[in-house]
Amino acid sequence: MKIDSGDTAWVLASAALVMLMTPALGFFYGGLVRRKNVLSTIMHSFFILCLISVQWVLWGYSLAFGPDKFHLIGGLEWIGLNNVGFTPNADYAPTIPHQAYMVFQMMFAVITPALISGAFAERQRFKAFVLFSLLWATFVYDPIAHWVWGAGGWLHNLGALDFAGGTVVHISSGVSALVAALVLGRRLGFGKEKVEPHDATMTILGACLLWFGWFGFNAGSAVTAGSLATSAFVVTNTATAMAALTWMTVSWWHKRQPSVLGAAAGAVAGLVAITPASGYVNVMGAIVIGFGAGVVCYAAIQLRERIHVDDALDVWAVHGIGGTWGALATGLFATVAINSSAANGLFYGNPKQVLIQLAAIGAAWGWAAVGTFVILKVVNLFVPLRVQEEEELLGLDISQHGEPAYAL
Amino acid sequence: MDATTVIAVISCAIVLAGWLVLPSKMTTVKPVVVSEERKPVSVSA
Repeated sequence: MKIDSGDTAWVLASAALVMLMTPALGFFYGGLVRRKNVLSTIMHSFFILCLISVQWVLWGYSLAFGPDKFHLIGGLEWIGLNNVGFTPNADYAPTIPHQAYMVFQMMFAVITPALISGAFAERQRFKAFVLFSLLWATFVYDPIAHWVWGAGGWLHNLGALDFAGGTVVHISSGVSALVAALVLGRRLGFGKEKVEPHDATMTILGACLLWFGWFGFNAGSAVTAGSLATSAFVVTNTATAMAALTWMTVSWWHKRQPSVLGAAAGAVAGLVAITPASGYVNVMGAIVIGFGAGVVCYAAIQLRERIHVDDALDVWAVHGIGGTWGALATGLFATVAINSSAANGLFYGNPKQVLIQLAAIGAAWGWAAVGTFVILKVVNLFVPLRVQEEEELLGLDISQHGEPAYAL
Repeated sequence: MDATTVIAVISCAIVLAGWLVLPSKMTTVKPVVVSEERKPVSVSA
């Protein structure tokens, strides 16, 4: 196997783009919370970038991508990056150094638990968050990543299509967010007092940086610098724009004004939904996926509000439902005209692909829900999940970190 | 034209049609009163 310098440069640049998404997520979430909690919210993302970077090289990569054990998990042969050097790995990326693929995947492992942090914003104890994130990455993310992307993983063998992480990243984090919101309970005053975003401009900036970084997420997942990466780039941008337009229009109809934050949330929903499909669908499929994301994710937020679940920053609605729609839509609109190594979807004569996608969706929902519930209960045995009432009222910036975000 | 393209065109038409019929009126909001005088805030490190 010969290393291709163009492919290597693209994957390393993509890894850097995906890395930027985690602090961008911090800004996206940080703008949506109250002023007394902005620093703690940004810290969730920044801390996870550090934590999972170390976890991944020590054991995470080995569990997710190491030699297959029973089609369920990777072995420990690659622990500490043992046997993960510069020679390409034929199973994953035959034209780039194995470590380039490893570090690209690291950034996916980093952002996934950071996504969950939006659900328990403004009330989770930092120490509990640290323990939860480490356990979740190890026992929820790594196994699901192996099932879908690992050589020998059972969903991989089944033929499930997930180009850049609809099931691995977004369903797993979105469903876990819902479970976390239910286990932790609502914030003080939830439903009684209005909680306004403290800085909408910060959220818009975060959304724009997420959009930028997502080109690495999706187009980088081609792990080659060629036509497939180009197609993924184009459909990512198209679906994102369509979802933003759709969300804005739906919220305009519903709330009588075109919401700026709604457009940003819609863009993120579109990015989520196109993620699993980005290497398999054409630009028309991307428009439909973006349109669907704008409608179903907006509807999911209305449902979440109606049942009074305090998923503070709507991680379940945007990532759980958006990821589910994207994974299902992949089974509808995938075409071998875009990716000859994949499969056609329902609209191109292969209804079986929808069933395979549903199996992957169900498996990711089930494992994420049960795993998250168990991990939260275990963590709660050692550290209370929530801060005390007076700490919550004071704000987590001061009570957890001893620092105010702004000196105004 | 394949089925995917037909659905995509319909999706775009729905969004565009929405813009034609949705309202574009100003909403009155309470003006935010900002004090000219600000008290200094001390922040200990």
